[in-house]
Amino acid sequence: MAQATGSVPHHERHHAHHFKTGMEEFEACKQGMWIFLVTEVLFFAGMFMAYAVLRVFYPQMMKDVHQLLNWKMGALNTVILISSSLSMALAVSAAQRGEREKIVRNLWITLLFAGGFLVVKYFEYSHKIHEAILPGKLYAYQELSVAKAPLFFSVYFVMTGIHGLHVIIGMGVIYWLIRRASRNEFGPNYFTPVEMTGLYWHFVDLVWIYLFPLLYLVS
Amino acid sequence: MSDQHQHHSHHILSNSMAWRVFGALIFLTVVTVAIAQVDLGVLNFAVAMLVASVKASLVCMFFMGLKYDHKENTVIFSTSLIFMAIFMILTFGDLLTRGDVYVKDMKKIIPDGAVAASTKSKFEKAWVSNPELVTAGKELFAAQCVSCHGAGGGGDGVAAAGLNPKPRNFKAGDGWKAGRKPSQIYNTLTKGLNQMPAFGTLPPDDRWALAHYVRTLGPHESEKDGAEDLKKIGIDPTKADGGGSGEKSIPVDLAIDQITQGK
Repeated sequence: MAQATGSVPHHERHHAHHFKTGMEEFEACKQGMWIFLVTEVLFFAGMFMAYAVLRVFYPQMMKDVHQLLNWKMGALNTVILISSSLSMALAVSAAQRGEREKIVRNLWITLLFAGGFLVVKYFEYSHKIHEAILPGKLYAYQELSVAKAPLFFSVYFVMTGIHGLHVIIGMGVIYWLIRRASRNEFGPNYFTPVEMTGLYWHFVDLVWIYLFPLLYLVS
Repeated sequence: MSDQHQHHSHHILSNSMAWRVFGALIFLTVVTVAIAQVDLGVLNFAVAMLVASVKASLVCMFFMGLKYDHKENTVIFSTSLIFMAIFMILTFGDLLTRGDVYVKDMKKIIPDGAVAASTKSKFEKAWVSNPELVTAGKELFAAQCVSCHGAGGGGDGVAAAGLNPKPRNFKAGDGWKAGRKPSQIYNTLTKGLNQMPAFGTLPPDDRWALAHYVRTLGPHESEKDGAEDLKKIGIDPTKADGGGSGEKSIPVDLAIDQITQGK
């Protein structure tokens, strides 16, 4: 099952000495990853809370103002992220099967989708910056002056910005995986980094699954 | 570590399953967008969140493998949702049940004049209607009231569908349980009524502006305030500022606004 090429064949890798087996090491890693994702949920919870407060206190403002967001861009990014989740899932199962080329190919596809997501986001952001649809005191959009509108954009930019930062970090990690996968470091006995990055990447998708209807489709 | 053990413990998501989950997620995204185009009132939000949660569950179960994983990872992840619920319940429990802040306490934090400016009226006798107040009221109405009371004030706003009793129809002369004199409407705005929240967060001028504006929407001209009516809400009509040094207490949110703006 091992690939014949590569400088560090995956079957030669040994687990850390404080684990009885490689399996135990993998399970411990994964549990740690899930605990990390719990802290991520709580991190985003603060921002979702801010959003919820705005919605409860200024429902009409939210309805008026969300029209300044282009839901088609949001929908496009939703499709892009879901597609990247698919390619990531395919990369993980390829790693579990030890199919080096498929790992690398699917990781590249994931990276490409992530880049596409950021390009769409760039167009959205630059349009808003151009029109001065910005948070707080920077808001100076003449067409729509609804009371408290700048608050919505504070929440919008912080939430999508932090989410975008997660995408950028994920891209770095995925690139690192591509390098390692090219060196044939992953296979049925060792695919922990691919699996963990997969969990992280799917989490980034999860957050967007909620952000899209909440920010772009308020009705 | 034998390969045998590994193969027994790891479930490998088949490519066909991954594609099927992907198909379901795309389909549900289309559903989300489609439903947002239809006006279902408050149901829109509930349906959007329900669909998002189904999508999230699919991602967790299949892409993240919780369906095939040890149950403890599901338990661990679920705790984040429990803590998020506690966070939201406690925060809203606080925000929605806040009382007032005494103006005398406010004065310890920000200059005396600043508090007075926020609670005192710009108008002489704001309880008497004037065109400026009505115009201001119209703007406030569009921002604060139309979701329930409707753009024309007919009690037929978007959010009215989910409300019982229905929001007041300002165009009709009957059914005003709390009265339709300016002082009575002002009082309803301050304290809320049934499912209408209190709008005490609005400065007194704004509440008077709203009261005078909604009275222009129907046949309410005959219902006038007497000295007795005004006294009930603590106003002495013989004095230009109502006889008080502004209100004794103001809502927490207004207080926070005052403090953070550092007026």
